Amino acid sequence: MPKTRALRSATNENDENLNVPTRVTRAKSAANLNVDELAMPSKALQSKKTVANANPTRRRAALDDVSNVTKVEAVDGGKKPLTKPGLVSKATHPIQKRATTRQALTSKEVNKKVETKRSNPGSVGQKRKVSASAVTTSVKEDTPEDGEPIRKKVHRLGADIKPKASAEAKETKADEPSRDEVVPAPEFNYPTERPLSDNIKALESEDLDDPLMVAEYANDIFEYLRDLECTSVPNPQYMSHQDDLEWKTRGILIDWLVEVHTRFHLLPETLFLAVNIVDRFLSEKVVQLDRLQLVGITAMFIASKYEEVLSPHIANFRHIADDGFSEAEILSAERFILATLNYDLSYPNPMNFLRRISKADNYDIQSRTMGKYLMEISLLDHRLMAYRPSHVAAAAMYLARMILGRGEWDETLEYYAGYTEEEITPVFELMVDYLARPIIHEAFFKKYASKKFLKGKCYSSSIIWSVPFHARHSNGRMQRPSWHVNGQRRMHSCTTSPMLTSPSTISHHNRGSCTCYDTLHTERHTSSLCVRIHSVWLDSPP
Amino acid sequence: MDGKRHPNSFQQLEKLGEGTYATVFKGRNRQTGDLVALKEIHLDSEEGTPSTAIREISLMKELKHENIVALHDVIHTENKLMLVFEYMDGDLKKYMDTHGDRGALKPIVIKSFMYQLLKGIDFCHKNRVLHRDLKPQNLLINSKGQLKLGDFGLARAFGIPVNTFSNEVVTLWYRAPDVLLGSRTYNTSIDIWSAGCIMAEMFSGRPLFPGTTNEDQIIRIFRIMGTPTERTWPGLSQFPEYKTTWQMYATQPLSTILPQIDPLGIDLLQRMLQLRPELRITAADALNHQWFHDIIAAQKHHPQHHQVPQPMMHPHGGYQQPVPSQGNYGGY
Repeated sequence: MPKTRALRSATNENDENLNVPTRVTRAKSAANLNVDELAMPSKALQSKKTVANANPTRRRAALDDVSNVTKVEAVDGGKKPLTKPGLVSKATHPIQKRATTRQALTSKEVNKKVETKRSNPGSVGQKRKVSASAVTTSVKEDTPEDGEPIRKKVHRLGADIKPKASAEAKETKADEPSRDEVVPAPEFNYPTERPLSDNIKALESEDLDDPLMVAEYANDIFEYLRDLECTSVPNPQYMSHQDDLEWKTRGILIDWLVEVHTRFHLLPETLFLAVNIVDRFLSEKVVQLDRLQLVGITAMFIASKYEEVLSPHIANFRHIADDGFSEAEILSAERFILATLNYDLSYPNPMNFLRRISKADNYDIQSRTMGKYLMEISLLDHRLMAYRPSHVAAAAMYLARMILGRGEWDETLEYYAGYTEEEITPVFELMVDYLARPIIHEAFFKKYASKKFLKGKCYSSSIIWSVPFHARHSNGRMQRPSWHVNGQRRMHSCTTSPMLTSPSTISHHNRGSCTCYDTLHTERHTSSLCVRIHSVWLDSPP
Repeated sequence: MDGKRHPNSFQQLEKLGEGTYATVFKGRNRQTGDLVALKEIHLDSEEGTPSTAIREISLMKELKHENIVALHDVIHTENKLMLVFEYMDGDLKKYMDTHGDRGALKPIVIKSFMYQLLKGIDFCHKNRVLHRDLKPQNLLINSKGQLKLGDFGLARAFGIPVNTFSNEVVTLWYRAPDVLLGSRTYNTSIDIWSAGCIMAEMFSGRPLFPGTTNEDQIIRIFRIMGTPTERTWPGLSQFPEYKTTWQMYATQPLSTILPQIDPLGIDLLQRMLQLRPELRITAADALNHQWFHDIIAAQKHHPQHHQVPQPMMHPHGGYQQPVPSQGNYGGY
């Protein structure tokens, strides 16, 4: 689906063929995510009744099952009722008048009107009303509300902080089994110092005239940030001690936070810090489903206080969470989260590392912008949680440069990133794998498909969606592509691959003859993909 | 640093200072008998934990250095947040009032204080932290002659390239010209400007640029440092507060303004008080300046020697800042 979405968001808004598969599957995935297991945002679901026939139990393999056939099947195979008492009652709530994101997105699928006006970017995990009525076993209804915002493990004796293997089992029914079951704890041996070549020295001294680069301190600072990185990585297995939550739930929360962040026009650093706060908090405390959104919104509240020059007023946070929590609850949660984290917000933000690498890339705005986007995958895909921010930044930049055909990962890039191609590979592959999967994080995709990010010479998501094509290659169905660090890289088996083709090359392809649909499924469609990308290029030339 | 400790673990003694956002008390640890400074932060019922407190605590937990006041503990209750700092006998302002000759300190003391100040600043900058409110009131002194940076309420971590910040930082008298001109992309050099102002003040006993308003502050700086032009400061006219109506002052030699400073000291001061931020010396370079060579040499033989032993102080009020950015907390 990534690709179909890409199509739509780019230029093919009215192409029936393109939208059909997307519609169905996204509805399905939304349904899965929101209702079946999580009893998640209700508002989205109200409008989703029309697409309520998704098949939630069907498993979709990571990369191979992307054909339309199965998607169509999914439409008819509805099994679970989507409407729940709690959700329905929500519909009468006055605040719900306008569509929320998910709602908007869903209705867009039903009716191709693309208008997405919304007052609320949806809510993750409604209040207890919802969870009580949900399928999920919520045991804590009776726990008294004592002002402590996140009830922790009253009913589980000490064991809940420790990872439990049994908890993994319950996640197998998830939409993306491989993600939920396997949390690779990367045993990555992080490199230490790297030698300094003359080229690099020259680049360093070039900053001496620019006060903003703090050239005299840059090396000390990055050395320090690298030290600091080890301390701020959350426990990548924390989900095993969460009774109520799953990785998918977390994904929904983070996706919603991406949207909140966009709506508040906050700095990129704030989003990364907020997610780090959420994850470090969840590493320490067991949180109920109906409190998860409170954790998320409070993390964003804290992060903006830390990062922003002017942080939004608390009422905005309350409101964007649909008044699901009172301000007093948010403030109480703030104290509790800060105390849990020992007030330690010294998170080495990956944005710092990205900008650092960008230096070795002549501060190319296109690759940096795309790198920024790709870096946000590390927020949504929990498998990347275990990797350090600098590592994620390196992989994001590596992938961005590859997509844009920016050439070798040379010694200078390696120095500023702090990682060799080989070291980057595991993270890079996870990112590609994420992109190759069906879209599950709507806000994230919307954000970068939006006008704002298209303007200013940014790239459309269309180009990014060319990546899944390669992902399938890398997944063993075809020969491992040469961009993988195996000697002869850069010569992809498919010459029409947009990923390794510069824009000017693409423009020579048969533009105009594009009637493609479902482009990425087989190799023979690659050329039409190029056309599509080309048209994007024409719309927003670099 | 566990949040479980109760406020009653500390006996509250006299008040050391008060501001809009916090009150500082002297305190005593009931268990150990050790003196501490208790900074009580009032929690706003509307906005919760102030961003200044969040940044201050987070940053000070990172910054463990002999020239930065140590944060021992954080105690949070329903309506207040209490930071437990190491106790210091007073701040530099009071020290100058009580020990100075009409405020002016002895050169050997000044050199020691400047060295320690710059060491603290250097450590902050290496750890990507801008203090953004250096002034005598925020430099704490103990009876061993140690100087430590306090009150990180305005401090924040910066990225590279440096992010855009608020330009409402640093108490007016110690505010760098680029900030006064409206820059929001200042960097580590703003702390160096403040350090330069403090150095001059320790020598003369009087603030170097005691302006009353932003505009007055700029003029006072230009009167001594000379009015810059687009030629002497490329990009000057781009600043929001740039005025074509500035009176043109010639640069005065600092040695005539501050005759009590030796030539090497003047050279260092000159390097710290550069109008253009990019020309200002860094803390790391300043520490290697020749003016400090005797201190460095002495330190090699007697590691504690650069600290000036001083008797306990008897704090009494000096004159107040006209435009304090945060109020006076007794430096914490």
